[in-house]
Amino acid sequence: MLSAVRTPCRRATTKSLRSFATAVDAAGLKIAAVDNGQPCASVTFLVKAGSRHEAKAGLAHALKNYAFKNTADRSALRIARETELYGGVLSSSLGREHLALTAEFLKGDEEFFVDVLSKIITSTRYTPHEFHESVLPSVQAESTEAAHSPSLTALDAAHALAFRKGLGSSLFASPAGPELTSEDVKSFASHVFTKSGVSVFGTGIEPSLLSKLVEKSLGGLAQGSSVGNTGASKYFGGESRMLIDAHGQQTLFIGYGTPGPVTPELSVLAAHLSAGPAIPWVSNDERVSTFHGLPKGASVQTVLLPYSDATLFGFLVSGPTSESVTAAGKTVVGALKEATGSIKADAYKRAVAKAKFNAATAVDTRAGMLEAVSLGLLRGESPNVQSVFKSIDAVSAQGASQALSKLAKSKPVYVAVGDVHSLPYADEVGL
Amino acid sequence: MVLLGGPLGISLAPYIMKNSGMHKFVKPLANAFINAAGYRKVGLRYDDLISEERDDVQRAISRLPEREGYDRVFRMRRAFQYDTMRRILPKEQWTKPEEDIRYLTPYIQEAAKEDSERADWDNIDVKSLIFGLIFTPSRIYPMP
Repeated sequence: MLSAVRTPCRRATTKSLRSFATAVDAAGLKIAAVDNGQPCASVTFLVKAGSRHEAKAGLAHALKNYAFKNTADRSALRIARETELYGGVLSSSLGREHLALTAEFLKGDEEFFVDVLSKIITSTRYTPHEFHESVLPSVQAESTEAAHSPSLTALDAAHALAFRKGLGSSLFASPAGPELTSEDVKSFASHVFTKSGVSVFGTGIEPSLLSKLVEKSLGGLAQGSSVGNTGASKYFGGESRMLIDAHGQQTLFIGYGTPGPVTPELSVLAAHLSAGPAIPWVSNDERVSTFHGLPKGASVQTVLLPYSDATLFGFLVSGPTSESVTAAGKTVVGALKEATGSIKADAYKRAVAKAKFNAATAVDTRAGMLEAVSLGLLRGESPNVQSVFKSIDAVSAQGASQALSKLAKSKPVYVAVGDVHSLPYADEVGL
Repeated sequence: MVLLGGPLGISLAPYIMKNSGMHKFVKPLANAFINAAGYRKVGLRYDDLISEERDDVQRAISRLPEREGYDRVFRMRRAFQYDTMRRILPKEQWTKPEEDIRYLTPYIQEAAKEDSERADWDNIDVKSLIFGLIFTPSRIYPMP
């Protein structure tokens, strides 16, 4: 019965699965595009200008907010108004590896939006008055918001503990950090906006058309050498406690990092060690979960963050009180230790299916596809779901357990955010 | 040539300066005017005389480099002080002609340009996007 239901599903997925983006070199830039017949088109300029590449803390954040400001031939106002006339959305987002400048628009307007994005890269003026009047205020607002979010703070601290420099540098410019000027941002931009630093990813657009447009508008971009701060990541680990809003959400981060890109073992483990299927309005004791007996109100979110040369794997445990978070933290550490020993056959089957589903559903969205491309494209691979499935299938339950026990031999990353007076220390949750 | 609208008003100077004969003829008159105005004798620059009570000028002043802003305030305080004392500066401290540069005007012009651009975009009249042109009442923006 079960197999009868499953077969058509599998056939349907196999049919629509194909190599979803092909990378080509045009004018010295890596370009990938996929056209699955989406009604909308989008173009993303992926720049190696994430926080790991910044020479001064906060530069990448400032550069992100300088996007779509005055350029040599268009003012910031004109960029906004023309985009409105065409009907489109411009956005910039920052990760630890990349800065992504994205335009989403209707099909047919490719020429205009590729031109806007290229002009941002080639001829933004980085005027001091814009820096003080609009860039810095938005940087400060985002930093303040992040500083008040326990989970963002915990993740930022976890990265700093795990990787220290490079990947450890914060995504957000701190008000207490070094003073930034528009000149600093300008020189950072001239280092990262080069042919070796920029790659282009399009959805809903013909690869040949995208290559032609990019060649036309970015042909004159400087070749550039590799970006400054690219030393290979090393894993350290450690413990940190931060006082934020003692009466609000209490948060723990428990995890491990490893140098080297994400392995299929880790994605199966992340699927295995998660708080059960995503069914809304189900209490903790009703769902199938590897975390038995989570206290009421507490939640565990599994975090698997892949980077080009490192991976951070862990759990964000949050709850309304320190007691519930302590209990939940013990549960998580217990489940980790249990999985280090062995994983039951049925639980393992479930984990493999879930890992595959996670991989497939990730590339269903534009953002997920962008992430997959950003990891694969720059290493010259064309990632496709089929090969991911194959690598997940190749993992055995024993292999996954061994990978976890190897991981657990290193020093853990432990962050407690909230009421540090009553939150547990690492040894108190059993780490 | 500042009779209409003050330092930011209508000026014939750019046209006069193009014609060297005309420039030679007018220059002594201009120098006499500057001398009679007397602002250099209290250490001011011509751009210090621009009325501040305007949005674009306020914005321009806030955009001056830090050093320029401090110097501007210093010149004004010194001028007010000497004016109160009914004195002028010793001659070696007068503003020299080569120091009397239009340090603020470019900033005001940029601020005014932003305002007029915003006004244009707020009153835009889209005739055609097909031919790649947007017609506005006062300008034509070619679209790529």
